[in-house]
Amino acid sequence: MAGPVKGAGRITRLALLTAIALTIFLAEAQIPALTAVPGVKLGLANIVTVYAMFALGPGDALLVLSGRVFLGAVFSGQPMTLIYSAAGGFLSWCVLCLLRKLLTEKQIWLASPVAAIFHNIGQLLAAAAVLHSWSVLAWLPYLVIAAVLAGLFTGVAAQALLKRLERIQK
Amino acid sequence: MKTRVILFLLLAAVGVSTAWLLLRDGDTDAPTARILRDGVLLEEIDLDQVDEPRSLVLEDESGSNTVTVEKGRICILEADCPDQICVNQGWISDSTVPIVCLPHKLMIEIVSGGGALDGGAG
Repeated sequence: MAGPVKGAGRITRLALLTAIALTIFLAEAQIPALTAVPGVKLGLANIVTVYAMFALGPGDALLVLSGRVFLGAVFSGQPMTLIYSAAGGFLSWCVLCLLRKLLTEKQIWLASPVAAIFHNIGQLLAAAAVLHSWSVLAWLPYLVIAAVLAGLFTGVAAQALLKRLERIQK
Repeated sequence: MKTRVILFLLLAAVGVSTAWLLLRDGDTDAPTARILRDGVLLEEIDLDQVDEPRSLVLEDESGSNTVTVEKGRICILEADCPDQICVNQGWISDSTVPIVCLPHKLMIEIVSGGGALDGGAG
């Protein structure tokens, strides 16, 4: 995988990844909602998060993720979404840290659907906290099914990306 | 091996969720709509008693939502939030899922039998 890059090289790489993730995130936000179920989307920006986690490590992945989440909320003009994205993002980051230790290089595509489930759980918990009600958990089954499907898709994409970028870095 | 375990767990999660969706049925006897903001009850409407469709505008510093009730069902007709998730959800008539407007911290849930179920979590 990617060698240890320090200093300006590392900052450049993190900035590039954050910019890519933010662009994907904002482009995806323009697509009308696929279903009436709130929170269901492909989550294409997570391809970058998964890539960063496995290629660069947890610290760098957290930097890229938090940069994208914060700037995404700023640029989409919806400050309230920051709470949900941050809660979901942080929980899925924790799960990814764990999976990074468990999975081999060929199984990275499996990390994404698991992380996606926890991302949606995190968002629902944040929503439950904001609304002071557990009633929102009624959405959980929809969100789990959507997370597995979308997560498999982004997982396979991240796996393909890692394979190709490895070749460039040599 | 590990691949199979994780795939199995994912499949199990999807299976349980699907079963949950198929087996639960929204309670529709004596539906009462409860409109809450920030966990505080604003309105309680017995949906069977609504003869004429009517609208109510709920406003606070975060914005406004126009709620419409008809006999047996309720929806958010208009909202000035950017995401419009609550509007897109349309009508609800049973307790399956609540309507939620996260930007305005507004939630509409339906309980049956005059509020036997308490969704409050403090």
